Amino acid sequence: MAAPVLLLVALFTLYPVGRALYQSTRIESPIFPSRFVGLENYRDVLGGLYFREAAGTTLWFALASVPLLIVLGILVALLLNESFVGNGVLRVGMLLPWALPATVAALIWKWIFLDTWGALNAGLYATGIIDNYIGWLTTPGLARMAVVVVFIWTQLPLIAIFILAALQAIPSELYDAAAVDGAGVFGRFRNITLPSIRPMLVIVTLYAVLMAFTNFDIVYALTQGGPGTATTLVTYFTWVESFKKLNFGAGSALAVLIALGSLAVILVLLRAIPKGALVEERP
Amino acid sequence: MSKRSPLRRVIIYTGALLLALFWFAPFVLVVIGSVLPEVNLLSFPPTWFADPPNLQTYDYIFTGKIPQSYEQRGALRSMVSNEVRDVPRAILNSLVVATAVMFINVIFGSLAAYAYARLRFPGRVAAFNFTLMSRLIPAVAIAIPYYLIVQAFGLINTYSALIAIYSVLTLPFTTLVLTLYFRGLPDEVDEAARVEGASSWRILKDITIPLALPSIIGAGLFSFMLSYSEFLFALFITTTRERRTLPVIFGSLSTNTDVSWNMLMASITVGVIPTILLAIPVWRFMVRGLTSGAVRG
Repeated sequence: MAAPVLLLVALFTLYPVGRALYQSTRIESPIFPSRFVGLENYRDVLGGLYFREAAGTTLWFALASVPLLIVLGILVALLLNESFVGNGVLRVGMLLPWALPATVAALIWKWIFLDTWGALNAGLYATGIIDNYIGWLTTPGLARMAVVVVFIWTQLPLIAIFILAALQAIPSELYDAAAVDGAGVFGRFRNITLPSIRPMLVIVTLYAVLMAFTNFDIVYALTQGGPGTATTLVTYFTWVESFKKLNFGAGSALAVLIALGSLAVILVLLRAIPKGALVEERP
Repeated sequence: MSKRSPLRRVIIYTGALLLALFWFAPFVLVVIGSVLPEVNLLSFPPTWFADPPNLQTYDYIFTGKIPQSYEQRGALRSMVSNEVRDVPRAILNSLVVATAVMFINVIFGSLAAYAYARLRFPGRVAAFNFTLMSRLIPAVAIAIPYYLIVQAFGLINTYSALIAIYSVLTLPFTTLVLTLYFRGLPDEVDEAARVEGASSWRILKDITIPLALPSIIGAGLFSFMLSYSEFLFALFITTTRERRTLPVIFGSLSTNTDVSWNMLMASITVGVIPTILLAIPVWRFMVRGLTSGAVRG
């Protein structure tokens, strides 16, 4: 009964991966005849200035957005775990940024950040906070921040809900006992909350890292990798190389490198997960 | 709940307000932008509310009637982005593809999950792990091979290609969720039925599926949403406006530097509505599944 799924997944996994590996050792393009070039594509890609720039930008993006996502995720989950008027509305309403197609999310924010007639500039100008419009998407540093903001807008809901689930699984007796012992708010958070949600934090970190390394839609719709190459993440770079320059060989070499990079990160993070947190043992 | 200090309440409500602003204000801005004349949106200094709002942008999207401000001589521009008129069609394309993917997930996902959860067969654990791990390969890494496969089968610009790809992308997750769920169902009923001589198939059909129906529907809707929103593969597989899905239309509008902004805002508003309608049941399923019982502490 598992056969159809297994067959389909295997067919669409093993063959493409093999094909990508094969192509990465060749000159492949709709324009030129195909031929074997060994590891030349890898050498060209790794030695290229643009790849190194894109790799650096991707690393910066992951380092800037993932810790922010986790810290905000904990704060939002703690907030939603309290009872207040509007909690239900917030819980259901925040699904929308996450559920939207990412290109739509990016377009919504493009309208806010646009330097010529965006809502943010218009609002700041109308209230007298700024005298000149700020180039949110045309200044390299600000454009990168904009990509981080949109990424957090779309990913925070899911991460917060996952952490909330872990919070709700903590037995309340633990807090009662700590209260009797006279532990303060921060003491309880450090000694009970944090250790209890640690396995979940590892899982959501893993998820956030994967999403950060494979972010493509937001960059495509918000900045097209610009200004210049300021927001060109490796995935966007790979797409340009493959489908704009039609250099399938170099594109495949890049793809293999991205897959290996993700795999390395996953393995490192998996080692941090306590046994039994992901898959329950079954006799 | 213990009694709370006023300070704590201030912190909670301030946080909730900030969060609500962060998540909802962009939507409000989009809706506002969609009903204002473009001349006002593009003006500097900003004069957004100088002229009364109207619904002519929506009229254009659904009927093709060009708004007055675009017909006036001396208006800021004479060109309308007619791509926004593709949005309703794109919603339909996305719905067709996502619905097919959902049915494939519901049928084959439940079958696979039942096998992993209840049957013993050689290579069960390895097959299960393989199915899960396949999703860890980044999409961009397999984009070129997928493109070449689709091309080889002559399926460029077809629903079938998108449905096949999205099924492969979503089935591992559906299988995981349903396997975990089936494991949680009590074994005793199955045993009793088996003693009575019922086959595995019969048990699945008459006992397990009715019990697990809410979860199966939830997982199916989840695969629906992922397919509805997918962009990268749809970008190179769909080539004509008749086949483009919603994310592709908006991807294309976003790279149009001369787009009419109030039209764009109206088309986003229209494009968001199906997501709102569909996402609420999915989210309720997820919030309920996650925050009660599914994670046993």
